[in-house]
Amino acid sequence: MARTTPTSQAARKVGIRAPQTGFEKVLVVLSRYREASIAVVAVVLVIYFQISNPAFLSPLELSVVLRDTARFGMIAVAEVMLMITGEIDLSVGSTFSLAPYVMVLMTISWGVPLATSALAALLLGVLIGAINGLITVRFRVPSLITTVGTLFLLQGVVVSIYNSQPIVAPVQEPFNAIFGENLYGPTDSLWSWHGLTAFTPFLWTVVTVLAMALVLNRTTFGLHTIATGSNIIGAKEIGVRTDRIKLYNFMIAGGFAAAAGVINTAEFASADPLAGGPFLTLQAVAAAVIGGTSLLGGSGTAVGALVGAFVVATLNNGLVMMGAQATVSDIYLGAAIVLAMIMNVQVDRMRARRRI
Amino acid sequence: MSPKDIPVIDPSAPVILEMNHISKSFGAVTALVDVSIKLRRGEVLALVGDNGAGKSTLIKILSGFHRPDSGTIVYQGKEVHFNSPRESRAHGIETVYQDLALINHLSVYHNMFVGREYHKWILGLRLLDNKKMRDLAKAYLDTLGIEIPSVDSLVDLLSGGQRQSVAVARSIYSSPTVLVLDEPLAALGVREGAHVLGLIQNLRRQRSVSIILIVHNYNQVFEVCDRINFLHSGEVVLDASTSETSEEQLIRIVKSGLGREAIAAAAAEIGNPLTS
Repeated sequence: MARTTPTSQAARKVGIRAPQTGFEKVLVVLSRYREASIAVVAVVLVIYFQISNPAFLSPLELSVVLRDTARFGMIAVAEVMLMITGEIDLSVGSTFSLAPYVMVLMTISWGVPLATSALAALLLGVLIGAINGLITVRFRVPSLITTVGTLFLLQGVVVSIYNSQPIVAPVQEPFNAIFGENLYGPTDSLWSWHGLTAFTPFLWTVVTVLAMALVLNRTTFGLHTIATGSNIIGAKEIGVRTDRIKLYNFMIAGGFAAAAGVINTAEFASADPLAGGPFLTLQAVAAAVIGGTSLLGGSGTAVGALVGAFVVATLNNGLVMMGAQATVSDIYLGAAIVLAMIMNVQVDRMRARRRI
Repeated sequence: MSPKDIPVIDPSAPVILEMNHISKSFGAVTALVDVSIKLRRGEVLALVGDNGAGKSTLIKILSGFHRPDSGTIVYQGKEVHFNSPRESRAHGIETVYQDLALINHLSVYHNMFVGREYHKWILGLRLLDNKKMRDLAKAYLDTLGIEIPSVDSLVDLLSGGQRQSVAVARSIYSSPTVLVLDEPLAALGVREGAHVLGLIQNLRRQRSVSIILIVHNYNQVFEVCDRINFLHSGEVVLDASTSETSEEQLIRIVKSGLGREAIAAAAAEIGNPLTS
């Protein structure tokens, strides 16, 4: 049979086309490794701030940025797990204030060591997470609403204890030094115990992030977390206990929020009822979203949350160090969230249309 | 692959599954009224009916996704109650749902093993044995002749037929006793549909698994099934064996209208008794 058109066999091939131009290849890499694209943004920000302010990368300034990164990052990584299941926890900002407040009260009133009361604070965080989770899965209340409720409720509880007054926390070594107190002075070497304490909160968050990356990618729990958020009905049909998976992730979020609060209190030797609050929650959510986690469920990475937290912390501090008003940095943060979300959604759509 | 290749099912083959007098309502909506079906070992039963006839509800009761309001399930001679999909799966009843229950954000091999993962212990941690699952999935899909770009592909990127094949492969991987396929041909092209039918025909030839096929249209599956049950408005209105009834006779019955009386009359005409 004679061909009526000169179209070559290769050009007639249908199906998924391999990426050809350099731009397409870059898009493929960015869609596979969302963290990579945001890591590029982070590096660009660091270069920009370093050029504008040569002190930016000094140990003292870096310590401040990485302490913020640690605070946002530890909460953001838990938020990533929840967002992968298709839920969200907005009450983490209040748990962050309440848990260490309870810890300090226990130590002051009953004389228990900080290490013991810190453990109680963590359990309190896990319990708050369990309550959020139970309300969400048992009563079928969307977690966005459940946790707005508990955000206000817990914030109300913590400010009502001593009428919003911060309380001075006892300092017990080595607890404080291990969990956040900064012993680093201008005369210390960076490569000493004191130098290390400049970055302990960050190191704890790095450990947490690596642990959650392992959980997400290499454990049954992680696989089921992704399955729950990607296709909840399908996951149920093949026997994934989706309610339980969600509940456990809420408990992780509560526990991590409490841990971040304890570290914050160990750092400042003070428990402030207003240390967390809604704004901290939103910064952590922003870090998760900027780090490539979709609010639609099914996708997200732990490492992305850390990089996202670094971007948020860098924007917060870098602009302030340059002498900008603190509020100006919110403009950039806001724009970054919107841009990150547009990129997330568009990359997903391109993948769905099998362009890349 | 002619049906003549496959011997007629032995009428004395033991009944492996009976669903007796199953009724189910969802609030004001009655989905099933006193439905009974029977499945022999090695048999392929087609459940046919219009949208809303209750086919999917019936198999979701069998798979433990819904619980019946009344009626019993007798499986391998014992009355069973499935409270979750996990339980029916543990009894060897695998279901491929209409939505396929594939996880778009996971690879083909992870999809094959979600819910029954392989693990290995590393430094005291129970981690997924991805290499083992990957190799097993690849080998198994190859033996079934299922062609996909790679077991590492996200199922999101597969074609409809490939997705369907992966879902079927997943459900037969564990050598189930009963396999339920809900609309396995829906949304498939002719060639893709033929491939899935080929998979079913191969299983039928071995007579090692009993299959319930849910379809809209029986003439798609006439060649691969031993018996056809028509469901209409939540009732089984006709139980016909494909070895005793010709396709033409069934067409006449169905064309006579879907009312219970109409079908009963037409069935009597060809000497086919109703179940019940």
